[in-house]
Amino acid sequence: MALALDRSHSIAKPGFNRWLVPPAALCIHLCIGEAYAFSVFTKPMAQAIGITAPAAGDWTVPQLGWIFSLAIAVLGLSAAFGGKWVERVGPRMAMFVAAVFFSSGLIVAGIGVSLHVLPLVYLGYGVLGGCGLGIGYISPVSTLIGWFPDRPGLATGTAIMGFGGGALIGAPLAVALMRHFSSATSTGVAPTMVVMGVLYFIWMVVGSQIVRVPPAGWAPAGYVPPVASQKMITTKNVLREDALKTPQFYLLWVVLFCNVTAGIGVLGQASLMIQEMFAVTPIAAAGFVGLLSIFNMAGRIFWASMSDFMGRKTTYLIFFALGAVLYVIAPTFGHLQNIVLFVLAFAVILSMYGGGFATIPAYLRDLFGTVNVGAIHGALLTAWAAAGVAGPVLVNYIREYQITHGVAKADAYSVTMYIMAVLLLVGLACNLAVRPVSDQHHLKEAPAT
Amino acid sequence: MDELEERSEVVNQDTMLLILAWLFVGIPLAWGVADTIKNATKLFS
Repeated sequence: MALALDRSHSIAKPGFNRWLVPPAALCIHLCIGEAYAFSVFTKPMAQAIGITAPAAGDWTVPQLGWIFSLAIAVLGLSAAFGGKWVERVGPRMAMFVAAVFFSSGLIVAGIGVSLHVLPLVYLGYGVLGGCGLGIGYISPVSTLIGWFPDRPGLATGTAIMGFGGGALIGAPLAVALMRHFSSATSTGVAPTMVVMGVLYFIWMVVGSQIVRVPPAGWAPAGYVPPVASQKMITTKNVLREDALKTPQFYLLWVVLFCNVTAGIGVLGQASLMIQEMFAVTPIAAAGFVGLLSIFNMAGRIFWASMSDFMGRKTTYLIFFALGAVLYVIAPTFGHLQNIVLFVLAFAVILSMYGGGFATIPAYLRDLFGTVNVGAIHGALLTAWAAAGVAGPVLVNYIREYQITHGVAKADAYSVTMYIMAVLLLVGLACNLAVRPVSDQHHLKEAPAT
Repeated sequence: MDELEERSEVVNQDTMLLILAWLFVGIPLAWGVADTIKNATKLFS
C-alpha cells in the first residue's frame, strides 16, 4: 500500500488530462473545509446531558470554542512542520495521511462526545483533525502549480475554493445527520461525527487515487516558459530554509495575517452583528452567514484567477485598499439601516478574505519559484493559525469593552470595523514593500558534469 | 484494433473519467450552495 502511495507511483502517464487534478484536490479541500461548519455542533454539544437545554455537567460554549481554535492552531503547525515531508512524499501519500488524520479525528471526537470526555474531543477534532487539516490543505498546492504553470492562480484557487465550500456541504450534512440520529436521550452528535468521519475518509481517498504528479520537464502544449525573470515573477528557486531568511517571507506573513484577521473576526461575529445592528431574526442571520460563506468560496476562485492577469501584488493592493474603505463605510450603512448595502459590503469583504487565501500560493511561487513552494506555503500558514486566535479575540474583546463602557450593542461594532480598516492598511504597507527576492537566496544550479 | 482506434478509446475513457471526477465534487458542492442560497433568501424576506 505504502509503495502505491509514494511519489514514484503517482507520476502521470503520457496523455494524462491535467484537469483531473483540480477535482482530486477538491476531494480533499471540500472535506477538510468542514471545519468551518464546526459551529453547528456547538449548541447540541453544550446540551449533551440536558438534551433540550444545558444541564449540570454539560460543557460550556467557551470550553467548546477551544476545539475550533485548537484545530486551526494545529493546522498551522502541521502545515509548517509537515511541508517538507509533503514535498518529499508527493500529493498521493500526503492526501491519504490527511484522510487518516482528519477522519480518525472526527471518529475520536465522536467517541469523546459519546463518553462525555472533553479532552478526548480536543484530541480528536483539535489535534488529530488539525493535523489532517494542515497536511490536507497543502498537499495538492505544489502539484497544481506544477500542472498549471500558465495559470497558477486559477489552479490553486480552484482547490482552495473547496476549503471555503466545505462548510456549505458539511453544515447541512451534519444538521441532517444529527436530526436522523437524535432521540429523547441523545442529541445525535456522536454518531454524526463517526458517520462523517467514514464518509470523508472515502471521499478523500478517492481524491488521493485520482491525483498525479507531472513527469519531469512536462509543460502544457503551447506553453513557453519565460527565459528570464519578470519583475515580480522569478524563474529561479528558493529552498524553504532560505526563504525563511528573506524579508519577503515575513512581509507576506503579515499580509496574510492582516487579511485573515480582518475577515475571520467578523465571520465569527456575523450572525450576532446583523441581529444587533438590524434586529433581524436568528434564521435570517443564519442566511447572512450562509451568504458570506458563498462569497468567501467564490472569492477564492475569482480573485486567484484574476491575479493571473493583474499580478499578485495588485490583487492584494485591491484587497487592502477596497477592504479598508468598505470597513470604514460599513458602519454608515448600519446607521442608515440599509441592509442591502451592508450585506453587499461584507460580501465583498469576505470574497477578498477568501481571495487572500487562494492567491497566496501563487504569490509565493512568483517570489520563491516552484521547487519548495508547498513547504514555504506550509510555513506561511502559521499566520493563519495566529490570525485564527487573534481575530476573534480582538473582535470579542473590543465589543465587550465598549458594551461595559456604556456603548449601545448596535453601535459597538463601529470601532471594531475602524480597527479592521487600520489593520488592512498595515497589510497594504507590507504588500507595497514586497520586492523580488535577492539573488543570494536563489538555489544554485548544479554545475554540468 | 489499429492505433487510431486504440487512441480514440483512451481519449474517450479519459473524458469519461474527467466528467465523473467533476461530478463527484460538483454535485455535493451544488447541493450545498443551493441549500445555502435557499436559507440566505430569508434574510431579505
